[in-house]
Amino acid sequence: MATYLEFIQQNEERDGIRFSWNVWPSSRLEATRMVVPLACLFTPLKERPDLPPVQYEPVLCSRPTCKAVLNPLCQVDYRAKLWACNFCFQRNQFPPAYAGISEVNQPAELMPQFSTIEYIVQRGPQTPLIFLYVVDTCLEEEDLQALKESLQMSLSLLPPDALVGLITFGRMVQVHELSCEGISKSYVFRGTKDLTAKQIQDMLGLTKPAMSTQQARPVQPQGQPFISSRFLQPVHKIDMNLTDLLGELQRDPWPVTQGKRPLRSTGVALSIAVGLLEGTFPNTGARIMLFTGGPPTQGPGMVVGDELKVPIRSWHDIEKDNARFMKKAIKHYEMLANRTATNGHCIDIYACALDQTGLQEMKCCANLTGGHMVMGDSFNTSLFKQTFQRVFSKDFNGDFRMAFGATLDVKTSRELKISGAIGPCISLNVKGPCVSENEYGISGTSQWKICSLDPTTTLGIYFEVVNQHNAPIPQGGRGAIQFVTQYQHSSTQRRIRVTTVARSWADAQNQFQHIEAAFDQEAAAVLMARLGVFRAESEEGPDVLRWLDRQLIRLCQKFGQYNKEDPSSFRLSDSFSLYPQFMFHLRRSPFLQVFNNSPDESSYYRHHFARQDLTQSLIMIQPILYSYSFHGPPEPVLLDSSSILADRILLMDTFFQIVIYLGETIAQWRKAGYQDMPEYENFKHLLQAPLDDAQDIMQTRFPMPRYINTEHGGSQARFLLSKVNPSQTHNNLYPWGQESGAPILTDDVSLQVFMDHLKKLAVSSAS
Amino acid sequence: MAELYVKPGNKDRGWNDPPQFSYGLQTQGSSHKRTPLTKRVAAPQDGSPKVPTSEPFTGTPPVGPPPLLTKTTGPPLGGNSSPLRVEPASSSVTCETMLEDVLGPLEQALEDCRAHTQKQIFDDISRRLALLQGQWKSEKLSVPVRKRMALLVQELRNHNWDGADDIHRSLMVDHVTEVSQWMVGVKRLIAERRSLPSGEAAEEKPTTTEENEVISSLSATL
Repeated sequence: MATYLEFIQQNEERDGIRFSWNVWPSSRLEATRMVVPLACLFTPLKERPDLPPVQYEPVLCSRPTCKAVLNPLCQVDYRAKLWACNFCFQRNQFPPAYAGISEVNQPAELMPQFSTIEYIVQRGPQTPLIFLYVVDTCLEEEDLQALKESLQMSLSLLPPDALVGLITFGRMVQVHELSCEGISKSYVFRGTKDLTAKQIQDMLGLTKPAMSTQQARPVQPQGQPFISSRFLQPVHKIDMNLTDLLGELQRDPWPVTQGKRPLRSTGVALSIAVGLLEGTFPNTGARIMLFTGGPPTQGPGMVVGDELKVPIRSWHDIEKDNARFMKKAIKHYEMLANRTATNGHCIDIYACALDQTGLQEMKCCANLTGGHMVMGDSFNTSLFKQTFQRVFSKDFNGDFRMAFGATLDVKTSRELKISGAIGPCISLNVKGPCVSENEYGISGTSQWKICSLDPTTTLGIYFEVVNQHNAPIPQGGRGAIQFVTQYQHSSTQRRIRVTTVARSWADAQNQFQHIEAAFDQEAAAVLMARLGVFRAESEEGPDVLRWLDRQLIRLCQKFGQYNKEDPSSFRLSDSFSLYPQFMFHLRRSPFLQVFNNSPDESSYYRHHFARQDLTQSLIMIQPILYSYSFHGPPEPVLLDSSSILADRILLMDTFFQIVIYLGETIAQWRKAGYQDMPEYENFKHLLQAPLDDAQDIMQTRFPMPRYINTEHGGSQARFLLSKVNPSQTHNNLYPWGQESGAPILTDDVSLQVFMDHLKKLAVSSAS
Repeated sequence: MAELYVKPGNKDRGWNDPPQFSYGLQTQGSSHKRTPLTKRVAAPQDGSPKVPTSEPFTGTPPVGPPPLLTKTTGPPLGGNSSPLRVEPASSSVTCETMLEDVLGPLEQALEDCRAHTQKQIFDDISRRLALLQGQWKSEKLSVPVRKRMALLVQELRNHNWDGADDIHRSLMVDHVTEVSQWMVGVKRLIAERRSLPSGEAAEEKPTTTEENEVISSLSATL
C-alpha cells in the first residue's frame, strides 16, 4: 500500500479534504485522549479540471431526517433496485430513471472514483450576478484617480450581463441612479442618521416597483426574472455612462479644516447598500464592494472622531477599555453583516490608507459573508490594483472563480457527531441528531451558509467520536462523512457538490500504531491554529497561548517515546516530528501575538488565516525559507538564524510578504558589479533565480503580497530576522570569526529552549 | 498574443509594493507550472541546531570574487532564463501603426451597426472614437497601445469577436490611464458588431462549451 503521505495527498486532490487523523479512534474516551480532535480542513469547491459535472438531480435517502445523497459507500441491491443509506441504514427504492441499473451499468455517483461529484440541478438564465460599488470620495486626488481607473477597468472584467450599481460617500451618501439617458441623478442621504431597511427602500422608491415585478414575473416568458432597477443595471447596457460617471467623480467637496479628519459616513453608506440589495435581490449572488481610504468618522459605525489629535484606538486602548467607539461600531457592522448573510450577499472591504481604517470594527462584514478583505497603503499601488483584478480571475473553463449563496450540509455516520466549523460562514441553526454538544467554533448546527466562496475557500470542521468504550466497532468498520454543498455557480447555475469520505476505525488499545501513523501533522497544526485564533477573538492572548501549550504538552506525553523523568530520552515519530515546531512558530505569529500590530492588521491577518487552504495556512504559520547558492539547486532550509549565511541568497514566503535577502558576500559581489562581467554570468543567474521564483509565487497569490528585496545589514532585513528561529542571539553568540549564521538581537525564546522545556514537561510525572 | 511583462510597483505610494504583472502574464499564469516552493526541513529533535558552515572559499572575510564561470558548472536554476522575464515591448519596433488603419475599420464597423443600434448608443460610440482620434493625433497614446489597437482591429475584421474582446481587456488592464475614456466605446462596438446577424456566421470556431464538458447524463449511461 502507498504511504500515508501519498494517501493524504491523493485524498486532498480528489476530495479537497485533509483530516487530522486518517484512522479514527473507535471510542469517545480514546478520542479525547488523542488531544488533537478529529477534524478536517475541507475545501468545498476545490478546483477539479478532471471532474465534469453531471446534469441530473442527486438521489436522496428517503428518511426525512437523513436525506443523504446516494454515494459509492452505499450498498446496492441491483436485482431489487434498492439501495441502503450508509448513514441511517434506510432502504430506498431507486427512482424510475435508474431502472436499467446493474453491476456493470452504474451511474457515476456509485463509482468509487466519484467520491466527489457535482450535479447541475438548474439550468438556463437565472438572476445575473450583482456588483454594488460603495466608493469613499474622501481620498487624495491621486488615490481617487487610481481608484476610478480601477473601477472603470473592472467594467471590462465583469460578466457582460452582470448588474452593477454605484454608491459614493463622504460626508453625505449618494446613491446613483444609472440610466442610459444623458442626465445623471442621485439620491443623497445624510451620513449621520441610520435608516432601517424599510426607510431606505421607501426613500429610494423601491417598494412599489418590487411589488409590480412580483406580479409581472409569472407573465414574463421563460420565467425571466426581473433584472433591473434604476440603481442596478446590466454592465453591457450601462458601461459607457458608468465609465463617464466614474470619470467625473470628485473628491468630497466639504471642506476639511486643519487638524481634522474628513467626515466619512461609511456606516450609513454600507447600511444603504445592504438595504438596497435586501429590498431588490434577496438570495441571489451579489457582492457589495466597499472601497475606503480612511476610518468612518461620523454616524453609526464611526470608529474615531474627526479630531486628528485623538488617534484611532490601538491594542493598548482596547486592553485598557479605552476605545470609545469600538463596541458600538462593531455592533452596527455586525448587524449589517448578519443581515447581508441572511440575504445571501457578501461584503468585500478594500481599505487603502497608511493609518488604520477600522477593519477591526468592520471585519465581521467580510468574515461572516465570505467577502474579501484587502489592506493596502494606497489605491495607486500595484498591490491594490492587481489584487482587485484577481477578484475577477477565471478558471480553466473560463468561469469566474467565485460562487455564491452556498449551504454546506454535513452528515455523519452514527459513531460521529459534528462539533462545529471555523471559516467564513454563519450557522444555519439546523440541530439534527448528529450535532454534538461539545462545541468548537461556529457550533450547534450541521449546516452552514457561505455567502461567497472561491475554489480555495477552506473550512475547518470539527467532530466528536461518540461511540461508547464498551460498544466496540467490528473489525474493519469504517466511519463516513458526507458534505453536501449547494451553491450558485458563477454562470448562475444552481449546483450541488457532494463529497463522501470514509476512514477506518481502530481500537486505540491494540492498534495504537495505526492511529499514530495516520496522523496528519500539517492538517492538525492548521486545525489547532484555527481553534486558537478563533479563541483569540474573544479571549485574552496569554490564555490562548497557555491553552495551546497545554495541548502540545499533552500530545507529546501521549505520543512521545521517553523514559520518565529523562528529557534526553524524548523522541517523536516521523508523523509528529514537525508538529512542535509548527506550534512554536504559531505562538510567535501575528495571528496570536498582537505586539507590533495594529488592531486592523491583526483583523486582516486573522481574516485570511481563517479561510485559506492547508498549504497557504501552513505558510502563514511557519514561513517557507529557500536558500540559493553556488553549491547546488535551491533547497529548503531551516527557518533558523543559522540559515542566514554570507554566501547564500534566501527567499522567504510568509504569505503576506515575499522577502529576498542577499547574504553579506553576495551583497558585496553585487555591489562590485560581478553580475555584469561576462565571465561571471553564473553569478548573474544566481541573483536572478530567486527573483523568478518570487514572481511565480506572486503571480498566483491572493491577495498580492508585499515584496521586499533586501540584503545583509539592510533595514528591511528585519522581516527575515523577526521570523527565523533565534537560535543564535547576542546572548549565546558563537566566538567571533566562526561563520555560523546571523545572531538575532532578541530575548525571545528559541526553538531549542522551547523544545527543552517541552521535553522536560512531557516526561515529568508531575504534569 | 498579449503583452508579457513585469514592471515595478509604485514604491512612492506603497510600502514594499510588489511588481505589476501584465494582463497576459496574469491570465496565462496557471499554464506555467514550476515546482512550488513549499518544502520544509524538520528541526533536529535533539534541540541543538545543526550549523551549516559556508564553503571554504568564503571562510575568510568575503573579499574574493564569486567563483568563475569556467570553474563551476554554474547554478542550475538561473541558467535557463525564465520565460517570465519578458521586458516591456520596446519601442524599437519600426512598423508604425497609422491612425487611419485603426480608425477606418472601427468607423466602418460602427457604420455597419447603424441600422441595428439605437441612435444614442451610436452617437456615444462615435463620440468615443473621436476621443481616440484626438488622443492619437496629439500623440498621447504610447506605442504598445497603438500596436495593440491595430491587432484589435485585425481581429474585428476577421470577425473574431472573442479575440478582439480579449485585446480590449488587456488594454484596459495594462493601460487603463491612457485608454479608459474611449475604450469603453470600442468595447461596446465589438458587442454591437457581434450581435449583428452577419456577425454570427464567422463565429463557428468550436470553443469549450459546457456541453463538451458535461459527461453523459444518467439516461445515456443506463
